[in-house]
Amino acid sequence: MQGILTYTLRRLLWAPLILLAVTFIAFSITRYGPGDPISVISGQFRDPEAFERVRAEKGLDKPVVQQYGIYLKNVFLEGDLGESISIYRGVPVWEIIWPRLLVSVQMGLIALIIAFALGIPVGIYAALRQGTWVDPFSISTFLLFQSIPALVAVPFLVLIFALKLDWLPVGGWDGPTVELAGQKIALGILSKSIVIPALALSLPAVAGIARLTRATTLAVLGEDYVRAARAKGLSEFTVVSRHVARNALLPLVTVIGLSLVTLLEGAFFTETILGIPGIGRLAFQAVTSRDYDVILALVLMLGVAFILANILIDIAYTFIDPRIRYERREAT
Amino acid sequence: MAQAATDTIEEMEARPSPSPLRLALRRLLRKKLAVAAILAIVIFYGAGIFAPLVAPYSYRQQNLDRDLEGPSLDHALGTDRLGRDMLSRVIWSARTTVIVTAATVLTGGIVLSVGLGLLSGYLGGKMDTLIMRVGDVFFALPGLPMLILINATMRPRVVEAARWVEDHTGIEGIVSSGAPDYFLIFGALSLFAWVGGARVIRSQVLALRETEYVQAARAMGAGAWRIVISHLLPNVSNIVIVGVSASLGAIAGSEIALTWFGVGIQPPTPSFGALIFDASNPRVINAHPHLLLVPGVAVGVLIFAFNLLGDALNDVLTPRAR
Amino acid sequence: MNRLVLGILGVVAALVIAIGAVFILIIARDGDEEEGAEPQRTEEAEEPRQAGELRLSGADPITLDPALATDAASAAYIVEIFGGLVTLDRDLNLVPDLAAEIPTRENGGVVDNPDGTVTYTFHLRPDALFHDRRPVIADDVKYSLERAVDPRTGSVVAETYLRDIEGARDMARGRADEISGIEVVDDLTLSITIDSPNAVFLYKLTYPTAFVVDQRQVESNPRNWTRKPYGTGPYKMKEWRLGQRITLEANEDYHLGAPQVKTVRFLLAGGSILTMYENDDIDVAGVSVDDIERILDPSDPLNLEYVSGDELAIDYIGLNVNVPPFDDPKVRQAFAHAIDREKIAEVILKGVIPVADGLVPAGVPGYQGPSHALEFDPEKARQLLAESTYEGPENMPTITLAESGGGATVGPTSEAIIEMWRENLGVEVEMQQAEAATFFSDIDQGRYQMFHLGWIMDYPDPENVVDLLFYSTSRQNNSRYSNPEVDALLEQARGELDQQRRFELYSQAEQIIIDDTPWIPLFFSRSHDLVKPYVKGYIFPPIVIPRLRYASVEQ
Repeated sequence: MQGILTYTLRRLLWAPLILLAVTFIAFSITRYGPGDPISVISGQFRDPEAFERVRAEKGLDKPVVQQYGIYLKNVFLEGDLGESISIYRGVPVWEIIWPRLLVSVQMGLIALIIAFALGIPVGIYAALRQGTWVDPFSISTFLLFQSIPALVAVPFLVLIFALKLDWLPVGGWDGPTVELAGQKIALGILSKSIVIPALALSLPAVAGIARLTRATTLAVLGEDYVRAARAKGLSEFTVVSRHVARNALLPLVTVIGLSLVTLLEGAFFTETILGIPGIGRLAFQAVTSRDYDVILALVLMLGVAFILANILIDIAYTFIDPRIRYERREAT
Repeated sequence: MAQAATDTIEEMEARPSPSPLRLALRRLLRKKLAVAAILAIVIFYGAGIFAPLVAPYSYRQQNLDRDLEGPSLDHALGTDRLGRDMLSRVIWSARTTVIVTAATVLTGGIVLSVGLGLLSGYLGGKMDTLIMRVGDVFFALPGLPMLILINATMRPRVVEAARWVEDHTGIEGIVSSGAPDYFLIFGALSLFAWVGGARVIRSQVLALRETEYVQAARAMGAGAWRIVISHLLPNVSNIVIVGVSASLGAIAGSEIALTWFGVGIQPPTPSFGALIFDASNPRVINAHPHLLLVPGVAVGVLIFAFNLLGDALNDVLTPRAR
Repeated sequence: MNRLVLGILGVVAALVIAIGAVFILIIARDGDEEEGAEPQRTEEAEEPRQAGELRLSGADPITLDPALATDAASAAYIVEIFGGLVTLDRDLNLVPDLAAEIPTRENGGVVDNPDGTVTYTFHLRPDALFHDRRPVIADDVKYSLERAVDPRTGSVVAETYLRDIEGARDMARGRADEISGIEVVDDLTLSITIDSPNAVFLYKLTYPTAFVVDQRQVESNPRNWTRKPYGTGPYKMKEWRLGQRITLEANEDYHLGAPQVKTVRFLLAGGSILTMYENDDIDVAGVSVDDIERILDPSDPLNLEYVSGDELAIDYIGLNVNVPPFDDPKVRQAFAHAIDREKIAEVILKGVIPVADGLVPAGVPGYQGPSHALEFDPEKARQLLAESTYEGPENMPTITLAESGGGATVGPTSEAIIEMWRENLGVEVEMQQAEAATFFSDIDQGRYQMFHLGWIMDYPDPENVVDLLFYSTSRQNNSRYSNPEVDALLEQARGELDQQRRFELYSQAEQIIIDDTPWIPLFFSRSHDLVKPYVKGYIFPPIVIPRLRYASVEQ
């Protein structure tokens, strides 16, 4: 336990540094790359002097490192994430992000729940039926879903369920709305809008979860206490649910955090094709219109989430394989 | 995983029976799904590599009089909205996928992740921390937005460099062959792809490091390099093989996604991403579903084959719990 | 075992805390609007239409500040909420808005001064009010125009549209605190002096940069006033939910007559517009090229509700005349003759987009351009190429066509055109897809040999195309075309006060330019829309002008 704590602490101490590196890289790429929000909003208006003036007004003419320093000061000392320029001019960044974050979280949560609800039983079942045709077949079916890229799956689902069968809406994010801090958030999670994104996001993940469950279940099945339980004459069901499941599922917990974050980031295509106002689509919008502050805020958010998820996973590895030591070793 | 390591070491010790690799291959070929998958991949890659010979039309040949047709004798898979033959476009796009997957795997998939994983795991200490933290940074960056920006920033310079080479060496058609795009894509993908694999290999190495076998080798005075090459490398090779075949699917998928967004392969270089993009309007595919289904099935089959193969290899190379 | 359990608990706890923290942060944030509002439940998409209400689909505006707006989406709302001294009516005629009448030389409103400047005197209507019922006075107009060019406001367009005014440029550069050319004579009288006679100056005042904003509101709430701005226009802002909807309500005190439609709701999100229209969620819908075939079919019930009109926009390929091979006019002409635009319009554009037969889009009132654009003639094209300095396709340098886009391919039109060049001329042109963010500045720097672009007119006058885009030193002249003969005609037209004569001069200039081919005009634009039968008077003007007040809704 001691080792784990110190390890966690050490990793956490690195986190701010990593965050700094991440934001600096993102910052530099945006600033050094061609295009900036002012020229984006100007479109065909070509007035170089006016541009320079507005850029100076926004502080975009200062050296990149200085701009970065100012940005850090604003964010960490004043909690000011800046304002949008090319998406909604003058609107604070957080105000643009949080409603979309809630939408993406709704999709991510449902997808996560479905993926686990399907993946775990399938994995356990496959493990129990190891050696028969059921084992590879069940996993392979879900592997098929994982193999179809979202780009193809989403239009395909729309074609079948929305256009041909007319059961589902073609896109958008409907649902009963809830008023939060002055903005109305649609709870698409309670409407038909959730179906296609939930399917598109969850089904590919099932395969991975099923495989992992199968592997850990298999490992557990070989353990002595399981054999003992069987020898005692307990029903298969009891054996599975009481002894196998509990131990087989532990490693999966580590996957939850990462899955949620991956889903949030990976819903890009689903959101774009379906016209869902989530942060995946926002990120794309921000990048193509070079809305610097929005881009940085998203990088910051996702960066924090990923770093934390990372640490959790590495910690979890120690439980899966106790022989991995994270204490310092001298190089030989 | 740890069990795999011990087992294979013991297996190696127990020679001179047929090498574990050959054993594994035999077991692999017994799995029907794996064979089917290998077949699919071979067909796909074959079509891609021999595209000029196999494709009935060129990728860009238009015929505005015969647009949006379904399958027919002339056009086995129909035509798109500019009258281009879908079958040919699929074959040419397969070629792009072949090039990108091969290139990316060789650099990011193998060289970078294996190299850094080994280094990190074996050396430990500051080197380990450095590599892993750098990996954290790449891991924490949101891939797609960064790739869009990187592409926007780097592409003009890469194209310029390519033209410079064209002008100064007299080699024609570097830019039009799509080489700068390939370079950018697989470079960018490698940058982000190495982290996962390196971590897995590193943890494997960490486990192996403590085995008596390695300790003994060290005690006998074997140099670090020797230990890495002859003891560690063979034992992680299983993981590498599995990892590579699994990531091939992901890489193909990433290239398609990036191209779809406009930051990958640029027209007129063929790509599945372009084909799928042409078919992303729901009303268009409602009227002409083959526009989506043709590339969709082709891509789906390929990635599925990669994944099946990866799964089968995993089974075969990683002995089960007894 | 215990370690495991503890570890798992720890992990789960961390996750729960993280997610919970995010939620708390979100809810606790920013309570300056409705603090702790009751969570209400309303069905948004299902709201039935009330009487006197119009529901439309809208695009997300970037800003509602008239001084900052550069895009059509923002402008569409701004022209309804705000107003300026003059405006355009439904037939694109210049009519008074806040001014009581249009100043002309005949009524003494326009005076040519001995030093070459021209002074316009505007008398404001006494009954013009802001949405908070405060009367509009001349000071407000001066404040608004000065605010627009003030560098602290950060507008990229203000100077372009207001620079004719004396002193505007100085203020824009921070050299002055006010625009010297604008003088407040009394509460209802204002004079604006421009630096030289300009036939289109009044048109420039119809553009949002010249609109009047409420000084007290702007100064008391500089960050958020645009969320619920007080303008002088026919509609007031009732509610703006970012990314979701905008609701406007009629300004009963509007000085040009209160609008008949009392509430206008714009749905900003929601997926397919056509589906929304079919579901009766909106009353007017734009039709895209993909759906147009279905609508044009007379057996489809929607066909009866289909409306189409001219749009003052042109789609073209620009050629950089300073860069080989397009520095040779024969090459340019050859490329122009090699495109079968009719075929593209028929096959790809489903016959609903008109081929451009000139540079100035059809629909500018009173203007009859030359109908002599270069036709499709592959023989002639090859001949011209043979006569050029390259003597044929083999000696041509690498040519790239640049286009901006956000997806995997350049549009089908460009692909078809490139194929046509290959087939008809034997020249292989490469495609280059550029990001929107950098495209325009790259064109500006002359980086491309040829580029595919569009131009939407700002006001209905040929000057907006022929002069603005082809005068040799104009900033917007992206093909770098320079022809002294054309320049002379344009300068003459600028000072010409007789409209008829002006148009003739532009027509002549246009013909010369077409023959020189710095541009290959491709297509003009048309709008295609569906309108519910109970909506009357809903017009589709060719450019962005206030139009909601002409509409009415039955039942």
